This record gives sequence, structure tokens and C-alpha cells, in this order.
Amino acid sequence: MLEIKNIHKRFGNTEVLKGVDLNVEKGDVVVILGPSGSGKTTLLRSINFLERADQGSMVFGDKKYSFQKASKKEILEVRKKTAFVFQNYNLFQNKTALENVTEGLVIGRNIPKKKAYEKAVEILTKVGLSDRYDFYPSQLSGGQQQRVGIARAIAVEPEVILFDEPTSALDPELIGEVLQVMKQLAKEGTTMIVVTHEITFAQEVASKVIFMDEGRIIECGTADQVIKHPKEERTKQFLRRITNDMEYAI
Amino acid sequence: MNFNLDFMVATFWVSLTGLGVTLKLTFIPLLLATPIAFAFAIIRLKKNQGFYQIITFYISLLRGTPIVLQILLFYSLLPSVLNALFESLQIELDIFSLNPIIYAYIIFTLNSVATLSEVFRSALLAVQNGQLEAAKTIGLTSFQAYVRIVIPQALVSALPNISNTTVNLLKGTSLAFLMTVKEITALAKLEAAYGYNYIEAYITIFVIYVLLATVIQLLFGFLEKRFGRYKYPRNREKENLYA
Ligand SMILES: Nc1ncnc2c1ncn2[C@@H]1O[C@H](COP(=O)(O)OP(=O)(O)OP(=O)(O)O)[C@@H](O)[C@H]1O
Ligand SMILES: [Mg+2]
Repeated sequence: MLEIKNIHKRFGNTEVLKGVDLNVEKGDVVVILGPSGSGKTTLLRSINFLERADQGSMVFGDKKYSFQKASKKEILEVRKKTAFVFQNYNLFQNKTALENVTEGLVIGRNIPKKKAYEKAVEILTKVGLSDRYDFYPSQLSGGQQQRVGIARAIAVEPEVILFDEPTSALDPELIGEVLQVMKQLAKEGTTMIVVTHEITFAQEVASKVIFMDEGRIIECGTADQVIKHPKEERTKQFLRRITNDMEYAI
Repeated sequence: MNFNLDFMVATFWVSLTGLGVTLKLTFIPLLLATPIAFAFAIIRLKKNQGFYQIITFYISLLRGTPIVLQILLFYSLLPSVLNALFESLQIELDIFSLNPIIYAYIIFTLNSVATLSEVFRSALLAVQNGQLEAAKTIGLTSFQAYVRIVIPQALVSALPNISNTTVNLLKGTSLAFLMTVKEITALAKLEAAYGYNYIEAYITIFVIYVLLATVIQLLFGFLEKRFGRYKYPRNREKENLYA
């Protein structure tokens, strides 16, 4: 469904993505692991054209897009097929939880207000925020904000949802509620690409795990292959480090 | 020294007949300047070369010189320049019979453009980039994202500065008497000239300006609370709204 080929991206003199290929099938949950600075965020942002990559292309559905040359119209097209969940939520500060969800429907997709409202209510209920419709982001906890962020993303019925470390800004006791929602989505067959350090989440729901380092994909396979039985030394090192960190955290 | 209280009361009412002119001199230039200032702010932010240089130069010129000087200069210069222009275009229009308030509008607008474009620029910068990006990811065009998400937030955070600009302009309009515009200060001076009651006249309009400035600040304070609701914690929202 989504096939990325040879994506390159540089910031000034440093090449951050050095030719990444990625294949995502409908219903896949692709988890991307990798150390800080390996280019995970840049990869997600480039897929959504928040960053303009220098080289490479993707086939999305039945259309091909050049990362470097995509027109404004094509970019909007891709953005309407995707949604993004940010590490720091990026909820619209001047809109209530409900308005955050309806915005993409009413303004982005010309859905009548009443219908959008009903849909938003349904989705907010689904993520467990039925009593928070008219709260502004500043009035919500981090976990609640991120669940609104996810609600905003699923409302527009994207073909793929991109998650960039959705739980890493959260206090430990709030991580669970967000992962819970994501697991539910995975169960329902939502296609997702998730950058995260939550190894247990990856083991439970990932159909594919990718390990990235220095702008390249080092290892790729099922959770069992990459997390339980990594082949590459760098993967092993990384996994040792984050599992150690987790033990410290406990 | 004895104060002539009756005179002060009389002057108060006479000066107040200039209130309309003073308010027009304040709000008409602000309204005219707002869209231009916004465009300038966006051009400056986009670093559109050429334009960027011209606008930056314009802003530093108007913000770097006293408004009194701008008035004196423009008011002596503009009529002759316009007259020459109209004559060369063979347009029959007697510039010198034009209501001087027009010049006041022009100068105060030019000035407000410079101030407001800086206000809008910093307000737009204060809106986190993530807001624009998030709007794009749910399929909004850049234009929609600005109109729906970025600009409303920028305007709210600009309100205190817009309030200051308005009060400063209100005070600045008192200089319009230099152009023989009959606003509050001009009327008070006229009134005082008959019997040399300048001190009483000045104290009277002093009070008027303080009152006006206070009303404006209260008004903006209200707008800030009304439209900035989203910034306040929920349980304190009511208190804040009526504080
Ligand atoms: N806008 C930018 N300008 C310049 N350099 C950038 C920019 N964005 C990212 N980089 C650089 O690109 C590299 C990859 O960044 P990226 O954010 O993609 O890493 P990451 O894998 O998401 O890391 P983390 O786990 O810390 O989020 C980093 O070295 C970073 O400094
Ligand atoms: Mg990152």
C-alpha cells in the first residue's frame, strides 16, 4: 500500500537519511526503533512532507510521488491520506478537544458540522474522553492531550497514521492509557508506523520491526526476529541499553 | 493661584465635543493599518528579499523618528507635493482646501503600520511551529492553517501590545492640533486662549485622556480574557473572566 524507495535527506552538510526503503501493507503496524539522531523523526516527517526530502519516491495506493518534486496539490493529497501523532501532541491550543477533532473534518474535508460533531463525540468516547469535549488542551493532562491527538488523527480516516514517539513526553503513569488506545487501533487493523522506545508494545502489536541507525535501516523483520534474536551488533547494543534504562526506571 | 472651577467644567464639555474627532483619529488609522501591517509582518517573516529590505527600512524610519517631527515634516511637505502632482496630471483639485484631518489620517496610519507590523511579527513568531504543522497533517492548506489556527492565536497574544499601540496613538492624536485639526487638545487650547486659563484647560483634558486610556485598557483586558480563555485552567476560568 505504501512503498518508500531510496529516501535521502540532508540538513546542511549532514546527511540524515541515507537511502531508506520501507514497505507498508494495509493493516501493518511498523515499529521503528533506533538511537537518538538516527533519523526516525526525519523519516516520518518526510513521508508527510513536513520535511522536503532530497531524493527518493513513494508509491502510495496507486499513485507515485517524488519526494523532491511533489507539487502542492500532491502534498495535500498525501496529507489527506495520512495523519500524524506528535511527540508533544501539538493540539490546537485555541480549540477545545472536540474542535481539535472536528477541524480536519469540517475544514479539511468539507464534512457538514453536525456530522463531524457526531463523529468526534464517538471517537472521543472511544479514546476515553467522553467527559472532556469542551476542555482546552491547557486544561488536559499529557495523557489526555495525546489521546485527543490520536482522536484527531483517526477522525480523518487516514490510510496510515504516523506516530512519532507518542508516549515519550508523558509521565510513566500516563503512558499506559495512550498505549492502550494504540493497541486497540492495531487490533482493529489500522495501518500505523510508530517510532517508539516501548519494546513491550512492539512485541505485542508490531507486524514489522525496523532498527535504524545513522540514517539507514540496519535490521528489519518481525518483532521476534529483531527484538528477541537481533543479528546486528548495533541492534543488540541498542536493545541492551534501552532495556537497562527500563530496569533503572523501575 | 486660584482655579476657575466653572471654567474647568465648561472646558470639559467643550473639549468633549472633540471626542469624536479624537476617537476617529485613533481608530480609523488603526483599522486602515491593520491589514497592511499584517501583510508587512508576513513578508518580513517569509524573508521575501527585496520587499523585506524596503519594509525593514520603512519601519526603522518611522519608529526611529519622533511623531511630532513626522507631522511637521509631512504637513509642510505633503500638500505641496500633492499639489505639484495633481497639477502635472492636470487634475483640478485644490489641495490646500482639503480638510487637514485627511493628513492626520495619513500620518497616523503610516505610523501605525510600522508599529503594528512589529507587533504582529512577534505575535506570529510566538505561535509554535507545531501548530502550523499539526494543521497541515490533518489536511488543511497553509492558508486555512493560518486563518484557523495560527492567526487567531497570534492575535490573542498580540492583544496587550495592540492595547498599548492604541493608547499611544490616542495620546499621539493630541498632536493633530499642529495640523489645525479640532480634536480634544486643540479645543481646550482654544478655550484657554480667551482668558489665559491654560493650566485649568490642561488639567481638564489630562483627566479626559486618563479616562479614555483607562476605558481602552479595560476593553482590551476584556477581549484578552474573552478570547484567551483557552489559556486559563478550567476551574479558574470564571474568576479570570470577571476579574
Ligand atoms: N531542522 C533540522 N535542521 C538541522 N538538523 C536537523 C533538523 N532536524 C533534525 N536534524 C538533525 O538530523 C538528525 C536526525 O534527527 P531526527 O530528529 O530525525 O532523529 P531521531 O532519530 O528522531 O532522534 P530522537 O530519537 O532523538 O528523536 C539529528 O542529528 C538532528 O540534529
Ligand atoms: Mg525523533
